Amino acid sequence: MTDTPPDGDSPDLDSCVRIGSIVSSNSHLDYVVEVYKERDCDRPPELHEREFGQPVFIKKTVNGTEHAVIGVIYDTQLVDPDQGRTGPRLAQDDQAQFTPGYIEERTTLAGVALLGTAEIAEDGTIQEPTHQMPRWTLEVEDTVFHCPDQVTVSFHTVDEQIQLAYMDRLLDIAGDLGSEVIVALIDRLRGVLPEDDPNHRVLDVVEQNVQWQAREQRGVV
Amino acid sequence: MADRSNVVGTVAGPGDDPNEFVFVTPSDKSIKTGEFITYTISVEGEPRSVFARVTNRELIRGLPEGFLADPEVGPETVAATLGVPTDDTELYRLTATVIGYYDTNMTTFANPRQLPDPGTPLSIAPHQQLETVLPNLGCETDSTDVTTLDGVAHVGWLLNRPAEATNLHIPIEEFASTHLAILASTGSGKSYTASVLIEEMMRPSSRASLLVFDPHGEYDTLAEMQGEEAFQGEDGYEPEIEYYDPERLRVRISELEIGDVMAILDNPSNRMQERLSTAWQAMQRQESRTWGIDELIGEMERIYGDDDASVGALEWRLRRSIERNDLFHPEENVPLDEIVDPGQCTVLQMDTLDRRDQQLITTVLLRRMYRERLDDVRDRDSDIEHPIFALFEEGHRFAPASGESPSLGIMRTITSEGRKFGFGLGIISQRPSKIDQDVLSQCGTQISMQIKNPNDQDAIKNSVEAAGEDVLRELPGLTPGQAVVSGDAMNTPALIQVRQRRTPHGAGSRPVIEEWREAYDERQREPTQSESADFGEGDSTGVQSLD
Ligand SMILES: Nc1ncnc2c1ncn2[C@@H]1O[C@H](COP(=O)(O)OP(=O)(O)OP(=O)(O)O)[C@@H](O)[C@H]1O
Ligand SMILES: [Mg+2]
Repeated sequence: MTDTPPDGDSPDLDSCVRIGSIVSSNSHLDYVVEVYKERDCDRPPELHEREFGQPVFIKKTVNGTEHAVIGVIYDTQLVDPDQGRTGPRLAQDDQAQFTPGYIEERTTLAGVALLGTAEIAEDGTIQEPTHQMPRWTLEVEDTVFHCPDQVTVSFHTVDEQIQLAYMDRLLDIAGDLGSEVIVALIDRLRGVLPEDDPNHRVLDVVEQNVQWQAREQRGVV
Repeated sequence: MADRSNVVGTVAGPGDDPNEFVFVTPSDKSIKTGEFITYTISVEGEPRSVFARVTNRELIRGLPEGFLADPEVGPETVAATLGVPTDDTELYRLTATVIGYYDTNMTTFANPRQLPDPGTPLSIAPHQQLETVLPNLGCETDSTDVTTLDGVAHVGWLLNRPAEATNLHIPIEEFASTHLAILASTGSGKSYTASVLIEEMMRPSSRASLLVFDPHGEYDTLAEMQGEEAFQGEDGYEPEIEYYDPERLRVRISELEIGDVMAILDNPSNRMQERLSTAWQAMQRQESRTWGIDELIGEMERIYGDDDASVGALEWRLRRSIERNDLFHPEENVPLDEIVDPGQCTVLQMDTLDRRDQQLITTVLLRRMYRERLDDVRDRDSDIEHPIFALFEEGHRFAPASGESPSLGIMRTITSEGRKFGFGLGIISQRPSKIDQDVLSQCGTQISMQIKNPNDQDAIKNSVEAAGEDVLRELPGLTPGQAVVSGDAMNTPALIQVRQRRTPHGAGSRPVIEEWREAYDERQREPTQSESADFGEGDSTGVQSLD
């Protein structure tokens, strides 16, 4: 675990924590990731590393250039294969249960919405971020990495200005929790930006707007 | 139709009113409310341009107001953050009211009674076309060079267009025969606009016979027309500007009617009234038109005896109010042939007369001129053998809505009958609500400028038929020199910028600060007196220095 330095100090994409792997997708921009456990890798993600609103990335080599497809965890779901299958127990407690052909265990699934892409430079940093819809399809078993906050800021900085140009798409995919994901992303950006950065005020306005719209939709106001 | 290069918008559908339609424009085609637009329809097989006036404009697509939450963060920054493009995002939804197409036979607008179909392309109405069809010029085509017409007054240009782009020339005959009202709060440009009209009417192509009743001395500068090339005709014509100061204003006593005299004498008793009217009528029946107070009193004494108390009281009042007032005279009169003449503008400067005297001289002059006009039209001998136009500053003084003025009767007569006799009135007032409604509603053409007072707005609404809601809505927001022209001289009301005068304007506010400083400097130059004031003896010397 010493080979994974704390977030922020190194934007090196090669040494990021692995969060899980893709198991399926709901659409071109909406993937389901099975979160790694002890058994799956050396260093499974800690709870806060795979929390709601955590940016993630998937590496893809396209035309010889290495790209990071950036996404965000917008939902999670617990799967218990036994749930619902265990009816009233007739057998005694200590009697082993027999579930033929089914050895799966309890897992955590995370919904990941894609936000955009960036090129991965030689030194492991990202360049030329774009919030356009990624055109490439990810594969089942693709590894999903934890995106360090510095990389998150780089991805969100276009011409010195913070951008969340994917917002309409994200709101669409994330559905009910859309405004919460965006607020979580904004909070994360705020935490990394220097205190006197003029982008803070812009982010405030964006946050207010998103929250207000959500309240309106939910009938609060 | 295929060429859409000058298309500014597209019809979306019908509006709320039967004559209204709605259209959509992108932001770069900025169309203001009040703008005139056209589209083409086919009337009996002929393509016709239908004109419509834009009455409302609202944003239907634009950045949400939430983007304006922080005044220090521009909405375009927020938009950029969210990847929202900010160029050409705005779409406007405009409402327009159909005016009609120009019917060349009727020489006015005809309503096509059919709204444009959705998808109909709309253009900005061309300058020359508007210049032809907006004013009531009676042109036989819908696009004429109106500057070549005689008898038109160039008053200004459409406010929504660049300066001097779409000029408004109104027919002088129309407003000079069916009367004119210039209504606006103080300082909005009434006198200025009136002077522009006077300038136009005095040009060689019109050579009007004008009379200005000027209670404030605001028309002193008109004389500068003389010697100006713009006012000289090829035949050697040049306008004559005559000033009549109070010294030359006289009312012959026999011209007064009994009602006028009652107004002059304050509160005569019933008995006095009865005696006075009997004697007055007797005097009026006499051959002589040049009798004075002495003769009148002689007549009363003849009828009622030398020692009648009421006659005694009347004598005292008549001598005080009439005989001692220089305005009244047994013989002298303002000679009509001196004050009215074609190509002559006479300014009656009444600024040193008190209000009652202003009303009386006006009353008597109007009566006399009206009589002459009547005679002329009825082929009798007349001193005034041409139409005349009289302009009144402070019109509410001469035709008040409440309170008595001896001139009200004759003003009502002229505004209702004058057009038949070639006698037009122009009423200028800053308080439309204080003008007699009969008089105001007879003013066929209206130039309304900034008016904020709701009572005055109502007065215009009630008496000015042609003023539609959309026009009235503009009035509070106008700035000096901007005006709505409506009524007989127009085929449809238009919002204009009144042009600049050719002669300097003499009625501006006084330069108060400058005058204070000058007066102060003046005082400083009188050292002895300011010193003596230090010794407490300043009273008498102080008064002296004020002279
Ligand atoms: N068409 C115009 N072009 C340029 N300036 C104008 C125009 N009309 C009015 N003004 C300006 O507005 C000022 C006031 O105009 P004006 O004296 O005509 O007002 P008014 O309505 O007659 O006021 P009042 O009720 O005090 O007599 C003028 O001194 C002039 O500077
Ligand atoms: Mg004035």
